[in-house]
Amino acid sequence: MSTIIIILSLLIVFIFFLYKNKAFYLMKKNVKEKEKIEDSLKYLYDCEYNQRPCTIKSLSKKLSISFIETTQLINKLVELGLVTEKSDELFLTAEGRQNALQIIRIHRLLEKYFAENTSIVESRWHKLAEIKEHQLNVEEANQIASNLGNPLIDPHGDPIPSVDGTILLENTIKLTELNEGLTAEIIHIEDEPEEIFSLINSLKLYPGMQLKVKSIDKENVLIEIEGRIISLKKDVADNINVKEIKNEILIKNFNRTLSSLKAGESAIVVGLSKALRGQQRRRLLDLGIVPGTKIKAVLESIGKDPVAYEVRGTLIALRKNQSDYIFIQ
Amino acid sequence: MEKELKQRELLLEVANKLRWKIGENVHDLILESIYKHAEEIASAVTKRKVGVQKFDFDSFIDRIVTNKWTGFPIMFLLLAIVFWLTIVGANYPSSALSFLLVDTIHPLLRKVAEYFYFPWWLKGILIDGAYLSMAWVISVMLPPMAIFFPLFTFLEDFGYLPRVAFNMDAIYKKVGAHGKQALTMSMGFGCNAAGVIAARIIDSPRERLIAIITNNFSLCNGRWPTQILISTIFIGSLVPSYLAGLISAGVVVGVAILGVLFSLIVSWFLSRTLLKGEPSAFSLELPPYRPPKILQILYTSLIDRTLLVLWRAVVFAFPAGAVIWLVANVNINNLSIAEHFIRWINPSAVFIGLNGVIILAYIIAIPANEIVIPTILMLTVLTTKLTGFGAGAGVMFELENISDIEYLLKAGGWTTLTGINLMLFSLLHNPCSTTIFTIYKETKSFKWTAIATFLPIVLGILVCFLVTRLWYILF
Repeated sequence: MSTIIIILSLLIVFIFFLYKNKAFYLMKKNVKEKEKIEDSLKYLYDCEYNQRPCTIKSLSKKLSISFIETTQLINKLVELGLVTEKSDELFLTAEGRQNALQIIRIHRLLEKYFAENTSIVESRWHKLAEIKEHQLNVEEANQIASNLGNPLIDPHGDPIPSVDGTILLENTIKLTELNEGLTAEIIHIEDEPEEIFSLINSLKLYPGMQLKVKSIDKENVLIEIEGRIISLKKDVADNINVKEIKNEILIKNFNRTLSSLKAGESAIVVGLSKALRGQQRRRLLDLGIVPGTKIKAVLESIGKDPVAYEVRGTLIALRKNQSDYIFIQ
Repeated sequence: MEKELKQRELLLEVANKLRWKIGENVHDLILESIYKHAEEIASAVTKRKVGVQKFDFDSFIDRIVTNKWTGFPIMFLLLAIVFWLTIVGANYPSSALSFLLVDTIHPLLRKVAEYFYFPWWLKGILIDGAYLSMAWVISVMLPPMAIFFPLFTFLEDFGYLPRVAFNMDAIYKKVGAHGKQALTMSMGFGCNAAGVIAARIIDSPRERLIAIITNNFSLCNGRWPTQILISTIFIGSLVPSYLAGLISAGVVVGVAILGVLFSLIVSWFLSRTLLKGEPSAFSLELPPYRPPKILQILYTSLIDRTLLVLWRAVVFAFPAGAVIWLVANVNINNLSIAEHFIRWINPSAVFIGLNGVIILAYIIAIPANEIVIPTILMLTVLTTKLTGFGAGAGVMFELENISDIEYLLKAGGWTTLTGINLMLFSLLHNPCSTTIFTIYKETKSFKWTAIATFLPIVLGILVCFLVTRLWYILF
């Protein structure tokens, strides 16, 4: 009998520590009115940005709360001077927009933080930021921003509003609008719906990468990106925004990866892919793996991964999942 | 004044606008240009020796130690030599220290206490409890560490250890960990607390946590003697005497390898559940080989590692020793607390193939694995009421003669199954208090400390339970 009690209590202690945060979150879930206000401001901004009408009905659907509750919420927002109502349609006031931008700023800063300073999986950034954005105040957000070196865009390529609420709006086109044979840079990847976003993630496509459209037909877009040829369904490609590169000097020669270098061969580094982010990227740059550096494959480990490279007089072992994203000539 | 302020604001506004124009790549670009510039200057003012002989020597060794055929044998051979030197070499200073601290000073202190008319309980708590456990920890812990750490640091300083990480990385990559975990794991064979500290060499937090949590699966110095003793008594006796030594040593190595397997499995499990995430920055510098600096090795290994760990162990051993004495001497209804607890826990302990004495010993001997066997012996005498062994209730003791220990344990109801399960439980139980404290110091998190503490116990109970069920089915 006591065996079972002991094992159970050990398990309970164990489980408690695993799910501590979630348990507390569930307890607090229903008390936060602030979250609802912030979420509705964000939604209104989203509507405004995408030039879609926003009504109490669509808002109640988005927040998944009842129509009556939504109406009360809107009354409160109108009272606070953040929202105006004109013939059933909802609009942000200037102050409301400022507030919305502050929350978006925190959200995007958090995503940037997760990307740069943690090893949280990409598909969780957005969801986690949705929760945490309500817990930070402006000062804390500024602190994060300055620790990250005041970043301009989040890992999905969305611009991060500045403290005073200005936001850069870049003119981009959808990948599907690009003609055959043109080269473009990925500017933005839409993070919703989740399935498409994680598909794009798994293909290792990131803002800042250059791609060339090989062919385009009714269903698929065939692109060449950093030496890889990838076929994308149109509905996936629609979630990728790009900007054409017109100046040929700016086109990077990212064709041959460092991982293709055999032991004993040397090459010159031409650049690092945008797939290498945060700590990984900084570490490689710190080691002096920058464009123009001579690099030589010296030793292969027993399983052929990692490989030791000679860079600037030192031997450094890199795994294949890194050398795949370092480009050489 | 007002004009200046206005100008500053204008300037900031321009700067803010320009920030958008410069874009994201500015950090990369600055770094690139710094390197380019530095290289230009360096190549303009320095000359390189044409003879590259030194590097050839390095790559010659590298080719041997990372070779498909010679790499792993060399690694196992070197580790085996280190362990052999540690275990054999530690015997002599250990018995000398034990003679001094346990056999000489301990009776002396008792006499002093009697001379000053200490009440019996104060004498018990202070001298038979706290002092004795501290003395024990020092005499069994210090010599192996003082041998193991310098040897290990020697290999590190020479430049060999990074090559081990290089060889082993493929395996660790598969379980979502860092190749350097091979090093912290080997360090754990010396001492888990030192292994946990050594995890600092892993710079990405996720992989570092995995290395810290799984370090306890390395069979540490404190547990080798237990394994060897139990294996000799219970496994060695199963085979003909000319094979006994070999088989029992083989079983101990088997347990250590089982520990390595557990560390890999748990790493795999952690990197897919609790510590899910991308493999973060990996880079492993393979420094050139160099003649080790002996003095520096001695300093870092003895001061930074040995003394630090020993100090933490002593700090915990002191109160734990008092507790050990108290549970054996405080009586409720004519039965000591220890016996009450043992009777209460015994049915469930037997259910998983252990016994109450073992469970209590592992709880109260938390400061160091080294005092588990003395505690078990003391508790066995206490519960079986055997006479002629030890020096009274609550006083830990060790026996010179293995057959005496065998007699005592078998009188305590031990079977071969108990022996096997004790070996498994010794591998899979909570880290010692020194290691737990070190894990907290390194992670600054109660959550991870708790997980590192309880995860092995849960595993240990599970494994012992399964082995016991299997045993009853088979025999």
